[in-house]
Amino acid sequence: MKEQTPSFRDLYLKSAVLSNPVLVQMVGLCPAVAATASVRCAVLISAALSLDLIVTCVLASVLMKRIPRAVRVALYLGIGLALLCPLLYFIETRTLMNLGQGTKVYLPLLAVNAVTALHCEKVAVKKPVRMAFLDAAAVSLGASIIFLIVGTLREVLGSGAFAGIDLDLPFTLKGLSLPFGCFILFGFLAAGLQAISPYLRQAQEEEPDAPAAQPQEADPQDDLWSDILEAEAASSERLAALDEFTERLIGGEEDAQ
Amino acid sequence: MPDSATKRTEGAQKPSHVTALRLFGDYLLMLLVPTVLAVYYYGLRALAVVGVSVGAAVLTEAIFSAVLGRSYYVRDLTSLFSGLCIALMLPAGVPFYVPVAASAFAVAAVKMPLGGSGAPIMPAAAGFAFAAVCFRTEIFTYTLRAEQKLLGAQSLGALLGGGNAMRLNAANLMDVLGGNVAGPMGTGCGLLMLACGVYLLMRRPRALLATAGFLGACALWAAILPRSNGGVLTNIVLELCSGSLLFAAIFLVTDHATLPAARWHRVVYGALCGVLCMAMRRSGVFEEPVCFAIVLGNALRPVLESILPGGGQAQRKEARA
Repeated sequence: MKEQTPSFRDLYLKSAVLSNPVLVQMVGLCPAVAATASVRCAVLISAALSLDLIVTCVLASVLMKRIPRAVRVALYLGIGLALLCPLLYFIETRTLMNLGQGTKVYLPLLAVNAVTALHCEKVAVKKPVRMAFLDAAAVSLGASIIFLIVGTLREVLGSGAFAGIDLDLPFTLKGLSLPFGCFILFGFLAAGLQAISPYLRQAQEEEPDAPAAQPQEADPQDDLWSDILEAEAASSERLAALDEFTERLIGGEEDAQ
Repeated sequence: MPDSATKRTEGAQKPSHVTALRLFGDYLLMLLVPTVLAVYYYGLRALAVVGVSVGAAVLTEAIFSAVLGRSYYVRDLTSLFSGLCIALMLPAGVPFYVPVAASAFAVAAVKMPLGGSGAPIMPAAAGFAFAAVCFRTEIFTYTLRAEQKLLGAQSLGALLGGGNAMRLNAANLMDVLGGNVAGPMGTGCGLLMLACGVYLLMRRPRALLATAGFLGACALWAAILPRSNGGVLTNIVLELCSGSLLFAAIFLVTDHATLPAARWHRVVYGALCGVLCMAMRRSGVFEEPVCFAIVLGNALRPVLESILPGGGQAQRKEARA
């Protein structure tokens, strides 16, 4: 039976809002904390994360379904580096953009981002290409919105500017430009999301055209166990078939004798 | 009694007799004395800073409680205490947005998210630390009525940090103990802090174990690694009377929610805070890092209790209480 593909809206609500990678799953915090001190850096990090996530997920869905897990994860890293290192080189050499020290360090480090590995393994290698693309787009949109909100708040409150334009505020809270300020902002945003999550879930359930509630996705650890069990079952089947074949062969030889 | 007050008294020796009202009533009573002294030294400007700081703390808690749909108990005096502590650690001439930001941070980002009155991080210390990071220049500039002070606008902490031994030679120890030097508006008078310590000794003698460890470690450090070329006693007095160290020893280190349960753990906890403070005074960038040391000590307290002998027993006692 052909699998029903959920709409982008449902996917967005589920993957980007209710299971927001930054505020709920708490993955990919390093670049978010270190490199979102300004709106420009937040835009750059969001674009790089979206590019890495979407391309890696699509490639994983197209090419890597039959590749063993240990090799796949290394390949995600390779794809990410192949995308992001040239991008950083291009920005540094061909544009006048002045990257901060944090952004310069964390932009290539996005290649080893946990968001990419998690969504490639959970969704991309198990679903069709369209579904993998939509999931990656929704997740990157969810993370990017948080990066932009945090980048805006940190730049306005911490530096008294927006996108480099001085706002002439009477005072600024420089602490918010530091990593601890970002963690505090994440805490408040996560609390706000937790507060509105029940209403969003309720709204999703009350939606007349909404597809039937999907069973809750298994934990990555459960996925690993299910893969191991499947592999064991497959190997037992192969062993049983080999035994049967051997018995038949031996039986045939005995008959021939 | 509100839930927050019950949490606050967890781990106390006699939780049934110690209520938040009585506990913080005592502290507020003690804090009235340095407040009066601040008004005496700096005039109504000091009172305005105190009012703004306390008002910001109380208003932030009221707004936060309203947003969360909780009742705000005015009798829970912790916000008043935090606001007053922050104000007294600031210079009298500080712009009003500094105490507002510090008190709002202490309540909104530390006290309320970390469990209300029983927050494991001291809100006043965290609020001052946040303000020190954000408004370093405003917080360590003591120009108001500096002409009346013994050493002008230079505080003891700045002179010790800069190794300015020549100017320190002019300091009379009685003037230093009396608070007649530039510095935070309510923490400079060492004699007054000693009087508050005596009152605390009568009311909560076990809490002073942490104070003893804290001051002992600071004094030992000052004797071994002096920052001025005076005698041992002079160095110790100058270090202890500079900045907010004595104030922190009486009011911040003895915070009920952040103190370990076992007696000698309190001494070690105080000593840890003292060592951190003196190390940061010697090598850090801030003139007065005592609040950073206390916040770090608060964070390290569970580790300290788990690695010190008797930690498990003390935790069981605390759980039973």
